[in-house]
Amino acid sequence: MPRILLTTLLVLTALVLQVTVVNRLPVSVVPDFVLLVVIALGAIRGPVAGATIGFFSGLGADLLPPADHALGQHALVLCLVGFAAGRWGERWPLLTVAACAAGAPALALAVSGLLGDPGIDLRTFEAVWPMAALVNLLAAPVVVWAALKMYGPRPEKATAAAVPGWRRT
Amino acid sequence: MKDSRRSRLFLGLLLAVALVLITVDHRSENTPVFGPLRTIVTSAFGAVERGVSTVTEPIGGFVGALAGAQGSREQITNLKAQNSKLEGELSSQRIDKRRSAELQAMLGLSGLGGYKVVPAQVVARRASPGFEDAVEIDAGTADGIKPDMTVLNGQGLVGRVVRATASTATVVLLCDPASSTGARIENSGELGVISGLGANGNSGRRIMFRLLDSTLPIAAGTRLVSFGSQQGVPYVAGVPIGVIEKVEATPGELTRTAYAKPFADLSSIDVVGVVVEGPKRDPRDALLPQAPKPAAKPKPKPKPATTALPGQQAQPQIARPGVTNPETGPGNPAPRNTRPDSRPENTSPENVSPEDTAPENTAPGNARTTDRENRGPAEPVRGREGETSIPDDEAA
Repeated sequence: MPRILLTTLLVLTALVLQVTVVNRLPVSVVPDFVLLVVIALGAIRGPVAGATIGFFSGLGADLLPPADHALGQHALVLCLVGFAAGRWGERWPLLTVAACAAGAPALALAVSGLLGDPGIDLRTFEAVWPMAALVNLLAAPVVVWAALKMYGPRPEKATAAAVPGWRRT
Repeated sequence: MKDSRRSRLFLGLLLAVALVLITVDHRSENTPVFGPLRTIVTSAFGAVERGVSTVTEPIGGFVGALAGAQGSREQITNLKAQNSKLEGELSSQRIDKRRSAELQAMLGLSGLGGYKVVPAQVVARRASPGFEDAVEIDAGTADGIKPDMTVLNGQGLVGRVVRATASTATVVLLCDPASSTGARIENSGELGVISGLGANGNSGRRIMFRLLDSTLPIAAGTRLVSFGSQQGVPYVAGVPIGVIEKVEATPGELTRTAYAKPFADLSSIDVVGVVVEGPKRDPRDALLPQAPKPAAKPKPKPKPATTALPGQQAQPQIARPGVTNPETGPGNPAPRNTRPDSRPENTSPENVSPEDTAPENTAPGNARTTDRENRGPAEPVRGREGETSIPDDEAA
């Protein structure tokens, strides 16, 4: 039970600090710490917990002001990323975290493009994605290390431990 | 294993919920189904964001101060602990001073145009790839802010309000790809549309301008003001938008495309004003900063030839004292000299304080850093020269 509280607290802190501090630093590209927290938690706790954490973090990110996009866009992306991180995080941890951190901005852009957001095209992708992936990759080790410190290594039966937990929330 | 049928089913379920949310929210733009939910969560998070921003404000300020204050850091290393404490106080004061200067500039601009503004400060920003360019400000419906109001700062147009709660409001920036603004070329009635480029536009440093009449030539350095919408919703007339940097050759198209640099630095906005009441009449070009003497001459008769090579002409023609001062200021003191006469029409009292504080803010800082920079490289060189020259002297 305290683990759920810890997770909620961690995600909420990441959400608020992302928009109030990180995004306002005087640099043009910043890492997405909410995404990295979701990846780390997914990799530690398994696919189901990862998808759940991703979904609700995404929902939080969608509702968090300032927001002007369709509700659920972030939820969709982070749900998939959380699941992917949990699914393959045990077998190839490094590769999975790297692929998720680099692939998530691409996925987000693809979802925006499919929803018909104006100004999202291949040129945007070429201009935005490499830098976003790079800064995410650079920041990922720090976040994963911090999450591992807080949670300890992935338990043997992560899914079984996580399922009763999320049901009670 | 973990990848059981149930976990896949669960993933499918969550994805389906997300898709349903997207669909419902996307389809119901006019009758918001999630309106109450959004309002509640927005208010709650808005309050938290305001709180956290107040606490963490100095962090962002500190990073910003570090970036621009090499001189201060050297001073800290040279002086003792007491001095470093004083330095901390000084830097926080500098941030306050900068903020107050920004506020003064914003109020000066809005006073010039006859807008009634509510000042506000940015508390949160969203900048993930694939999502909107928006900021949250710390003023809301309680301050008279409603959706579709113009937001400006001391330099020019910033964006418009899209959503307002009691104490916070969401502002979509000019550089958001979804935003488009009617714009007018200065000294003429020619109209066009400004659209944001999002991340394509070098994070807000470039916006696209489409001139509706493709036969007209535009030169780099031409400045744009907002055309204004009916009753000032969502944009009031006459707010400076930006200066054309590059004109694209678009033969055979119905509109002429150019790229402009916004007057407002959209990547680091802090103090803004929300126009709650527009002016009685269009202020026309009165709000534009005065053009410099060399740039003013070619402007009345823009030669078609200049459109072919706009890049080279851009730099001398961008004549914004606030922007060019940091770049050209240290090198030649000319901009500072032209500064007082660069805005001759507003000698009204509101002009005195920004003019007083702004140069004080930028000029000493520049002077100090350039002193340091000049001294820094110069000293080692001199030392080396000295070392090499001493044997010469001895030999001589």
